[in-house]
Amino acid sequence: MKMLIGLLLPDAGTISIDGRTESIHDPLTATALGIGMVHQHFSLVDALTVWENATLGDTGRLDPSATRDRIGEIAEQYGLVIDPDKRVGDLTAGLRQRVEIIKCLRRDPSIVIFDEPTSVLTPEESEQLFESLRHVVAAENRAVVLVSHKLDEVLHATDDITIMRQGRVVDQRYSTDADAPTLARAMVGREVSLRSERAALGIHSPDDTDLGGTVPAKTDAVLPATAQPVLRIDRAIAHDADGVVALDEFSLEMYPGEIVGVAGVEGNGQRALGDVLSSLLTLSSGTVAVDGTEVPTGRSGAMAEAGIGVIPEDRHDSGLVLDMTVAENLVLVDQSRAATRGLIDQRRLNAFAEEMIEQFNIACGGPNAPMWSVSGGNQQRVVLARELSQEPKILVAAQPTRGLDVGAIEYMSHRLETAAASEVAVLLISSELEEILELSHRIIVMHSGRIVGEMSRAEANFETLGLLMGGTAA
Amino acid sequence: MTAVTAGAAGGSDAQPLRTGRWTRLSEWFALYGMSIFAALVLSAILVEATGGDWRPVVSALFDGSVRRPGRWGETLATAAPLLVVALGTVISSKAGLVNIGQEGQLYVGAAIGTYFGFLIGGPGPINVVLILIIGAAGGGLWAGVAAGLRYWRGVPEVLSTLLLVTVGGQAVAYGLRWEWLLLAPEGRRGNRNQVSEQLAPDNRLPRPDLFGNEFPLTVFIAVVLAVIVAFALSRTVWGFRLRMLGRNPRAAQRSGVSETRYGAMALMLSGAFAGLAGAAMFTGGGFAFGNYQMVPGFSANIGWTGLLVALVAYEKPLAAIPVAVVFAGLRTGSSFVGSTGVEGRITDVISGLLVLALLIPAAVMFLRDRRRARAAATERV
Amino acid sequence: MTDLLSAVYEIFSSESTYLNGALFAAFLAFAATGEWVAERSGTLNISVEGMLLGGAFAAAMGCHLTGSVAVGLLTAILGGVLIAGVQAEMSHRLAADQFVVGLTLNILVLGLTGFLENEIAPETTLAGRWEIPVLSDIPLLGQALFGQRWPFYILYLLLPLSWWLVYRTRWGLELRSVGENPQSADVSGIDVNKRRRQSIYYAGLTCGLGGAFLIFGHIGRFEDTIVGGRGFIAIAAVIFGGWTLRGTLAGCVIFAGALSFRLSIQGLGYDINSELLQALPFVVTIAGMAIFAHRVRAPAALARPFIRGLR
Repeated sequence: MKMLIGLLLPDAGTISIDGRTESIHDPLTATALGIGMVHQHFSLVDALTVWENATLGDTGRLDPSATRDRIGEIAEQYGLVIDPDKRVGDLTAGLRQRVEIIKCLRRDPSIVIFDEPTSVLTPEESEQLFESLRHVVAAENRAVVLVSHKLDEVLHATDDITIMRQGRVVDQRYSTDADAPTLARAMVGREVSLRSERAALGIHSPDDTDLGGTVPAKTDAVLPATAQPVLRIDRAIAHDADGVVALDEFSLEMYPGEIVGVAGVEGNGQRALGDVLSSLLTLSSGTVAVDGTEVPTGRSGAMAEAGIGVIPEDRHDSGLVLDMTVAENLVLVDQSRAATRGLIDQRRLNAFAEEMIEQFNIACGGPNAPMWSVSGGNQQRVVLARELSQEPKILVAAQPTRGLDVGAIEYMSHRLETAAASEVAVLLISSELEEILELSHRIIVMHSGRIVGEMSRAEANFETLGLLMGGTAA
Repeated sequence: MTAVTAGAAGGSDAQPLRTGRWTRLSEWFALYGMSIFAALVLSAILVEATGGDWRPVVSALFDGSVRRPGRWGETLATAAPLLVVALGTVISSKAGLVNIGQEGQLYVGAAIGTYFGFLIGGPGPINVVLILIIGAAGGGLWAGVAAGLRYWRGVPEVLSTLLLVTVGGQAVAYGLRWEWLLLAPEGRRGNRNQVSEQLAPDNRLPRPDLFGNEFPLTVFIAVVLAVIVAFALSRTVWGFRLRMLGRNPRAAQRSGVSETRYGAMALMLSGAFAGLAGAAMFTGGGFAFGNYQMVPGFSANIGWTGLLVALVAYEKPLAAIPVAVVFAGLRTGSSFVGSTGVEGRITDVISGLLVLALLIPAAVMFLRDRRRARAAATERV
Repeated sequence: MTDLLSAVYEIFSSESTYLNGALFAAFLAFAATGEWVAERSGTLNISVEGMLLGGAFAAAMGCHLTGSVAVGLLTAILGGVLIAGVQAEMSHRLAADQFVVGLTLNILVLGLTGFLENEIAPETTLAGRWEIPVLSDIPLLGQALFGQRWPFYILYLLLPLSWWLVYRTRWGLELRSVGENPQSADVSGIDVNKRRRQSIYYAGLTCGLGGAFLIFGHIGRFEDTIVGGRGFIAIAAVIFGGWTLRGTLAGCVIFAGALSFRLSIQGLGYDINSELLQALPFVVTIAGMAIFAHRVRAPAALARPFIRGLR
């Protein structure tokens, strides 16, 4: 996909558009050829206004009023209403995606690529989106490419399907000829039997309802009022860097061995929650306590020391030091296992790293390979290995499977379940409802930094969660 | 990104270093050789263009730095403070800080050391050690001002350290106006009006004499410090955490490395090294550095040049040793260049060009490595 | 105390205070305007000092060789842009550390101009004084703002031009997006490092003009101490001003006030320790930043290099 919009150059092969072979060497050429992309992670600049963002990447004289008019036209045509003079940073995730779509459509692309568009939308909003996509295709003769790993979405919204695995096309068929199991088999390359994989692929199967039977059903049994919560967050209020309220009277209790899923549309305080538990954000008020002992927020290392392991949403942000080696990254949080009296023992460090590399099956050029030379999936394994080797009481996993392939997702899910089975409290923050429904024993829903719903797995279903996520039922 | 694009994630084992050690090494040599050559040729052209002749200049540089009797001792004596300043700089850059105020930290440190040295005036050897320690503390304090501004008031240390050079210089000059601060009493100032007393001979660092070249003990201190710093940065938990802070402050914050504490410490330590260099110049400097007296302009650009040494040595303490000697040679050699009819400041130009030239190969290699790595592991999230 | 008060009164009522203040402020503003543009694109050039010095020297050389101030102005621009070129190409094409490059450039230019000055000793003249009718008769401020040598007035064109470029053109929009979120800008099809290089070249241009102004509009001859750290004060003014042009100008005026206070109080015959007065502008600058630096929002990607595919 990056190739089509010119961010990546093909080593071999050609791209043909309308029968002509084209070479796309930068994003501008892509635009000129009529290819537009709506990015998964927005290509918007927060500090600029909607119209400024919309015109970014165009050429020619800057004409604010014409740009505003065009935004109005598109808004009317597709039902994507927006105020062109608002600062993009002030918009909700759903509205931001709207800006992204407008930005793409106002260049009249003949091919529109959507890269995982629903991760920031509520199910209802996704529905609306697909409807307008249908409209775009039918009424205006544009081609829409939908890149998604959710089979339901793909089956539901498309005409033809191309399945890719490891950079190769493995299957091509009409949507009407396809069903979820066959697609899943083609994607993974073998029969899909594990539930976690199905969840990862977003398939609702009939036996979803009796999940409670197969999951180690701890939830209701293990939560007597007498049990001591291992993590207690009490009326936490936090502000992000721009002073916007990110957590609003957020309270949560967690018990050993349970997986609590935090559902919600991205950008509703999940990141702040993860940051607070990583000592990266100081609460304006409220407390965090582990095993009944209050942990000061925002003091470096305090959360990690208290026994909170974190698989961060963006591992490059606080999870890894790319310029250090794999071995060093494995002891980032606690160097004591590789050091005596303040001196690092290279041999012990390497031995530990070798052990972790083997145990977690990390593909890298050995303990001393620089972290940046390791691929994304294996970087994630390094984070996982390090956090689990700390034997945490609480494991925060924020969007832990994002960007991973199916095998890696299965592995991650398995690890999280094993951790919970060994009495670790797992906080699973995810914008993928399927993942939440699959793994959690208990589910809370976040909207605008608040908890707007809490339920056990048995009570939860797609529709209720979806409504809560949109903030409507709150 | 997506299950689709992430396909390559599982298997690919990216190893950019596989390109062959020897090709890499020869590339490295070729790049550096070419860059240095280009810098020297440019300097030569400059000399020729202004009507000079480059050959006698080179000869004079060698005369002044090593060939003439006593000169290589002088060069080593100059290299020592350069090295100490550079070591401090390495520490702060490892922590991701840009300290460019060594000139001021050195000067202020030396002046504070001087003040207390005369104030206390204990028996010789003890007083020397005292001056060195207080000098280091003084330099550290001066850098501490920048650290405080950075961590409590959000002022970028790039600017504050730099602006403090001027402030520090003026502050010391002010001190040299008052007898209760640094100024020598009437009658002991010679013909100068801003000068401190001269350090008594038994309060000076010993200057051993080797083959007719004498240089202060600072040289040994500096080399020992280089080894210690190299060891501390690469082999201790402290160094590990400092590097973590420098490379990813957020990961460091999560892992218990407080940016404020470690950062301020690194910056102050860096200043302390500069202060130590200054105190060593004062107690062991000889004629090149104020002749055991504090004077305006005492720092004599050692701070700036030491900073350049660190930049060229690329955060490697041991590599800073030979680099310091080269830069010291350019400096001691420059005093002989004047006799060729070419302005001695040509050596400033040569060192500047050399530093710029030496930046290029490393940058080129860095970009190349990254590109190769990216080609190997195209998957990125 | 009354002594001090009367001194302050005397300073504020003397035309020469404003005249000197305007000269200092204008010099800072030339540099700060370019630096402001460059910082909006996410670069922090500490080579401003070198660009100013290089510009001043090139101005002196241009005038020395042709005897013309106008030619000197052009060579000054060339000089500033040349140094900017080294900074831009090394830090935003080769990805060398921008501070390292900037610092080295400052030292190199100082050595180079010092060397060449001794070898050549360029002769220069001051530009002619233009009194703007009516306006220059305004009491106190008239002479300061409208009775200067003509290179001063270039600033009156440069300031609105810079504002217009940054806020009203596509180039400026792209520049700001690059300074805020280079990843997004890249995806939108903007060449991030090219925009940054261009912004540095722009800073080279304004600094070249600043150097020329110093030679032709203020001092009249070149010395290697002529800039004396004021490039860094210009950078501080941008930070002080919270990365807005208006704030940057305010910073220039305040810091220039400290610079001219020093001259005025000595000119009036008050005996205040000269070292403390020398340090004053720098202390004021540091204090100004200490008060304001954390209250303003920097461009989000300021001083962060961009390499595609790398955060």
